[in-house]
Amino acid sequence: MSTRALQPGDQFGPTTVTVTRETLIEYAAASGDHNPIHWSDRQARALGLDGVIAHGMWTMGRALSVVTDWLGDSSVVSGYFVRFTKPVPVPDDDRGTEVVFSGVVSAADDDLVTITVNATCGDDKVLGAAKVEVRR
Amino acid sequence: MPITAEHAGRSYPATQPYRVSREAIAEFAHAVGDTTAGPDQDPAIASPTFAMVLAARAWEALFGDPELDLALVRTVHADQRFDWRRPIREGDELTATLRIDKVRTRGLTDMVTIGVQIDAQGGETVVTASSTLLHTRTEQDPA
Repeated sequence: MSTRALQPGDQFGPTTVTVTRETLIEYAAASGDHNPIHWSDRQARALGLDGVIAHGMWTMGRALSVVTDWLGDSSVVSGYFVRFTKPVPVPDDDRGTEVVFSGVVSAADDDLVTITVNATCGDDKVLGAAKVEVRR
Repeated sequence: MPITAEHAGRSYPATQPYRVSREAIAEFAHAVGDTTAGPDQDPAIASPTFAMVLAARAWEALFGDPELDLALVRTVHADQRFDWRRPIREGDELTATLRIDKVRTRGLTDMVTIGVQIDAQGGETVVTASSTLLHTRTEQDPA
């Protein structure tokens, strides 16, 4: 979907992504974020979590990939904001956790298009106030 | 002495230059499920949130500042903003410079807003980032 053609109301998703412990290890390696709450249940619990959670920045990046896949181009991304509202728990099993991404063009002018992004995990909204700005 | 509102405006020296490699771009694209950015272009274009790899290098100075008494284990990343002037690409040599923009403390919680500027060789600003961190003070340092 070319950014030139985008109009308010245009939607993408829902796209379901499964995150497993393997996803988190790959993200830790690629990003340099080795925070143990993303790979050690023991250390996550010591900080009051129920267990290992996904990197917030993984969720932010993974959501953006759904948007840029839809657009067919990541070089048009000019701005992105998210609030990390709820953690994404990732158990040590083969099933992983499903995160569902969707979104809609919420504003557009001649130069810039704003896309509101939703990310949910079960009943939880895991990203809040998430907006991507792309250049036409 | 813990972090206070008076620390707003403090900035840290730029991080050492980080040379963006094709391999790092490919690994990151795979990790975030990005099929559009990556190593197929020449020069390879990084996924947009690859910028966090650079911003995180600047966070080390903040958490290492003995005056502020901040601990990563007591910190929650509450929100994140990026603005890109252009995509990060293979061959960029990037530095990241962090500034504390705002500090508000209520009880045992510090709400810290930090800005990071990511510049390429020659001083071109490529990305600016802003994060809100929620930090819990230890009980020895109540506000």
